Amino acid sequence: MITLTHFLVVGACLFSTGLYAVLSRRNALLVLVGIELMINAAIVNLVAFGRYDKSLYGGQVFALFAIVLAAAAVAVALAIILNVYKFYKSVNPEDISNLKD
Amino acid sequence: METIVFYGFATTAVGSALLLVSMRNIARALFLFFIVLFSVAGLYLFALADFVAITQILIYVGGVLVLLLFAFMLSNKELLQQLHSGTSHFFALPVWQALLIAASFLAILVYTAIQGGTDEPAWITASKMAGTAIHPTDNTVEQIGLQIMTQYLLPFEVVSVLLMMALIGAAHLTRKEETP
Amino acid sequence: MPAYTLTYPLLAALSAVLLPFAAFLLTAVLGKKAKHGTISIVAISLSLLAAGYAFTQVWGNTPIHIQWHWFTIGRHAFHVGLLLDNMAVLMLVLVCLIALPVHCYSIAYMRGDPGIHRYWAYLSLFCFAMLGLVVADNLLLMYICWELVGFASYLLIGFWYTRDAAVQANKKAFIVNRIGDIGFLLGIAILHSSFGTLDIQALFGPQGLLTAPMGADTPAIAAEGTITSGWLTVAGLAFFLGTMAKSAQFPLHVWLPDAMEGPTSVSSLIHAATMVAAGVFLLARVFPIFDDTTLLVITTTGTVTAFAAAYFALAQYDIKKILAFSTISQLGFMMVGIGIGMYHVALFHLVTHAFFKCLLFLSAGAIIHGMQHAKEKHQLDIDPQDIRHMGGLRRHMPLTFTTMLIASLALAGFPFTAGYLSKDALLVHAFEWAALHGEAAIAIPLVLVIVSILTSFYIFRLLAKVFFARPSVLANNDIHIHEASRWMLAPMAFLAFCSLFPIFTFHPLNDGQVWLLHGLVAEAPTLPPLRPLHILVPALATAATLVMATLAWRWYVNGHYPIRTKGVLYRLSERQGYLNELYDAIIVRPLLKLSLLLLWIDHHVVDGAINGMATAGRSLAGIAAWIDYHLVDGLIRLVGNLAWGAGHVLRRSQTGRVQQYVALVFFIVLVILLYHIFAQA
Repeated sequence: MITLTHFLVVGACLFSTGLYAVLSRRNALLVLVGIELMINAAIVNLVAFGRYDKSLYGGQVFALFAIVLAAAAVAVALAIILNVYKFYKSVNPEDISNLKD
Repeated sequence: METIVFYGFATTAVGSALLLVSMRNIARALFLFFIVLFSVAGLYLFALADFVAITQILIYVGGVLVLLLFAFMLSNKELLQQLHSGTSHFFALPVWQALLIAASFLAILVYTAIQGGTDEPAWITASKMAGTAIHPTDNTVEQIGLQIMTQYLLPFEVVSVLLMMALIGAAHLTRKEETP
Repeated sequence: MPAYTLTYPLLAALSAVLLPFAAFLLTAVLGKKAKHGTISIVAISLSLLAAGYAFTQVWGNTPIHIQWHWFTIGRHAFHVGLLLDNMAVLMLVLVCLIALPVHCYSIAYMRGDPGIHRYWAYLSLFCFAMLGLVVADNLLLMYICWELVGFASYLLIGFWYTRDAAVQANKKAFIVNRIGDIGFLLGIAILHSSFGTLDIQALFGPQGLLTAPMGADTPAIAAEGTITSGWLTVAGLAFFLGTMAKSAQFPLHVWLPDAMEGPTSVSSLIHAATMVAAGVFLLARVFPIFDDTTLLVITTTGTVTAFAAAYFALAQYDIKKILAFSTISQLGFMMVGIGIGMYHVALFHLVTHAFFKCLLFLSAGAIIHGMQHAKEKHQLDIDPQDIRHMGGLRRHMPLTFTTMLIASLALAGFPFTAGYLSKDALLVHAFEWAALHGEAAIAIPLVLVIVSILTSFYIFRLLAKVFFARPSVLANNDIHIHEASRWMLAPMAFLAFCSLFPIFTFHPLNDGQVWLLHGLVAEAPTLPPLRPLHILVPALATAATLVMATLAWRWYVNGHYPIRTKGVLYRLSERQGYLNELYDAIIVRPLLKLSLLLLWIDHHVVDGAINGMATAGRSLAGIAAWIDYHLVDGLIRLVGNLAWGAGHVLRRSQTGRVQQYVALVFFIVLVILLYHIFAQA
């Protein structure tokens, strides 16, 4: 029997992995991938909980919305990354430190 | 049998993800991401969300991943040499710190999940008792379509406008600078 | 009550006063363009006319008084105004009458002097001050004019300011006069604090506050104020002190002989009608204030002055100094006149004395002028004022000799002269007064008789030496002394006429007939007459004069000179009683030493204290600066540094790296989660 807990644990693992990628990787693309992983973890949770909501299907509908929004976010983020690359000739977030005081 | 397949998907997803974040080669990492997405889509099936799984594959694999690959190729020249850089500063985050934070989150989340398993929320218990949970035989696609057009029409419209804005924004960001 | 409308006599008097002032201003403004002195002469002439008009209107009538409000201090209002009574208009005319000949005389006498424009300006100022003094209706205004007279005399005595002696003399005159001014000021202060007014008529008028207790020893009681007899005496003495300095009374007379350093015309003005007369005039004005004590002091001082000055005059060789001591002596006579209460007689003597003393000085000036010319012409090494170098001038300057003779006879009190009338009247009254005041008082008229005899002697000595004696220097060189010019002779002739009896009385031998004496004061004080004296004293005086004239002739002209010039008495006379040396020793030198001491104290103690304070202040400021810099500023800098340090530490967190920000966010979320978990557990 596959319980809710199984999904939550898998989601937690994916989230932590994505978080690690976001924090540690030196490439903007992989940072983006890490974000996507974290979103996926969130979607797993949504879907898992949505299983108990037959009347409204809230979990699955919002999972769809989340997927779509993630896609849009990726599109914008990639545009930004390409612009940053054009400007800095680098996609390393370490190098992009203009906000330093 | 069902449990074994679930564990298989779960293992594939988590393992691929771990491999992904530790991979030095970006191209390979992106393909590992492809595997992760597929595995997660498989996991959705176990949650009786077949439409979400299909959408996941369509949008992520068809859209996002292709976009990522394009972006990778457009900025490829710099990537290889960037891999070796990474000077450590006073507050610069060494990998182990990221690892520490990530592990801490993992621990907390797992702890919460297990705790939630032992005493699950009241509405889930109520749903189990009332038998309103989704059954494998239910036609989820029809229900989702109905719900989107009725209950969730406003969020749907908002999301559509948001997508529009994202598209315009992306197009604006990537257009060529006019040379005056 | 004082009038407030400006009637013609008042207007005339006011213009008489202000015209010389206008002349002074004009001359001062014009500077060297006003060398001819026309402005001053025209002004004093017009003043004389105006004064004459005022005299005819006021003389014998009720006094005219006008005043305007001047300023107010507290409750006391001060006024400025004119008081025209007999005394004032008499003096007004007298001053103008003496000043005009002196002005005319100055044209010739001062001709060619490089600073003559200053001379005219000073002369006008001098006349203005004296005229203002005589018409002033209150003591404050009088005091101001009094000071102005002193100041103008200071300027005139030091007119030849390049001469050291002149500078010393005018300083001396000024300083001695200051002593008197203090007395005058004290008197004013006492009167004002007692009565709250300085108005002369209110104080000394016929119904004045001080008139009632005249001569009485009781305290004066008046409606508006009182004064105790003690303060009354002090006030009287204070006024007398002022007079002592101004009118050169012993022992404050020392400035007057030295004042001869000024031009002779100025000396004549000072001695005749202006400066020294001011003191006598003041005493006559404030006469009701004097009680018996003060009057006795005045009488005694006058007697001593008269005697000492006459004695000092005996052995002087400087022609002007002889005349100066003569003036002092005559002023002593006037003081005695006031002291015995016959102040109208004193004023009469002042008038007659003004004429003949002015004439004496002008004649002396003519002689000096002649001598000076001779000296320059023949390169003689002589002092033109020394009578030992003169002699035999009768032939050279007959007209001057005539005027001088008339003036000398008047001074000696010879019959048919004005001096006879006034001086013998004074002598007679002194005897009458002495008869009332016991046996000791007889000393005073006796001394005065001796003084009178001495006077005759020294003036005839002067005449004999100058005009009759065998020429000493001049004989050898065939030098001719020129008679004075017409500008000088005309005033002298005029004054010579005034020195004779006709303008005062038609009865040359009886002073009781003199119109001046009858009109001068409304209620003339009288003494019980001693009839025989009115014959005896003039007769004796005239006889003494004749004897002295003969004696002088024998001694100085015929050369029978009996006195050793090294005698103590002689030297005492020659050195003016060693008073100058005495003052120098007991006042001037100790003062100088005191000044040096004070200088030392000032330099070392006062300055030292101030420097010490300054140093202390500087070190205090240094400490304060240190505290300010290190503690106060330090505190503020500490706060600033803390903020800077905190900022400096915190800015490290702003690395600008996205991943670190994200890590921080997640770390904080982690902490919050942990907190919730542990809070639940």
